[in-house]
Amino acid sequence: MEILLLIINTALSTLTGIGRIALILVPVIILIEMARHYKIIEKITGKIKSPLAFLTLPQEAAFPLLGGMFFGIVLGSALIIDYAKEGYLKKRDLLLIGIFLSISHSVIEDTVIFSIFGANPLVLIVTRTILAVIITRGAAAIIDRFFLNEADVKPCKTGNQEKH
Amino acid sequence: MSTLAEPLKKGLIKSLHILLLLIKIVIPVSCLVAVLDHLGIIESIAHYFTPAMSFFGLPGEASIALLLGFFVNFYAAFGVIAAFTPEPHQITILAVMIGICHELPIESVICSYTGLRIPFSVALRILTALAAGILLNLAYSLVIGG
Repeated sequence: MEILLLIINTALSTLTGIGRIALILVPVIILIEMARHYKIIEKITGKIKSPLAFLTLPQEAAFPLLGGMFFGIVLGSALIIDYAKEGYLKKRDLLLIGIFLSISHSVIEDTVIFSIFGANPLVLIVTRTILAVIITRGAAAIIDRFFLNEADVKPCKTGNQEKH
Repeated sequence: MSTLAEPLKKGLIKSLHILLLLIKIVIPVSCLVAVLDHLGIIESIAHYFTPAMSFFGLPGEASIALLLGFFVNFYAAFGVIAAFTPEPHQITILAVMIGICHELPIESVICSYTGLRIPFSVALRILTALAAGILLNLAYSLVIGG
């Protein structure tokens, strides 16, 4: 009996907690959908050239990277597969985007949900993004140094081949 | 008008979906945790993990949240957090760790489409999460003054 009461109490207090979450979650999710609908990401992809250059990624990586980062890994991966089929990105770039996104994806949604539970949203976003950037940059250096001679990693575009 | 209605509808459906997911997962998990806690089982698990969790400045109970977050999803981890109400900075550390590494069985398969091998992404994310926990704990103990 005591345990049954405990279960009912816990369920009720958790349910009211989820009700509080709904008040914040619903508007935020609608805003995210609006941003997706009005193609906000497409509009800002042109403006992140220098961060991309730091990650040694081409301009074409901007859309899957930002899409995955803000809207979730499923969308990011779908975009990546699409891009890969059309041959916009090298295998090396795909791998780097995968590494970045596995650490930092759907940052807005996750952060909103976590912060409703009491986490500091700024620390959450900053830590994840910095770690993703550092690790992706490190992986880029390792890939370029040790695996660059593999055929599938070579640049697809003409020019700058065998410079030494 | 219809252009505005479409994302509105999509957003509503999606948030309902998330809330349903929260209800379906968080309530059973927090009830289970409450019962296990009542029976003293959580205490012995927590006791076992206390030394490991101290690297992250977290209580032993957090190990259950971490494991659920890593291998199930972060909604399940909330069930534990809801049952224990740790301190705010501990919630942040937990959130960063679980934010980096969650839902491994599903997400590592999704990630593998980019060419990232599954064992590699699993190892990468677990190690990154642990490193983030240690670093954040260090940062917090410097700021708060431990």
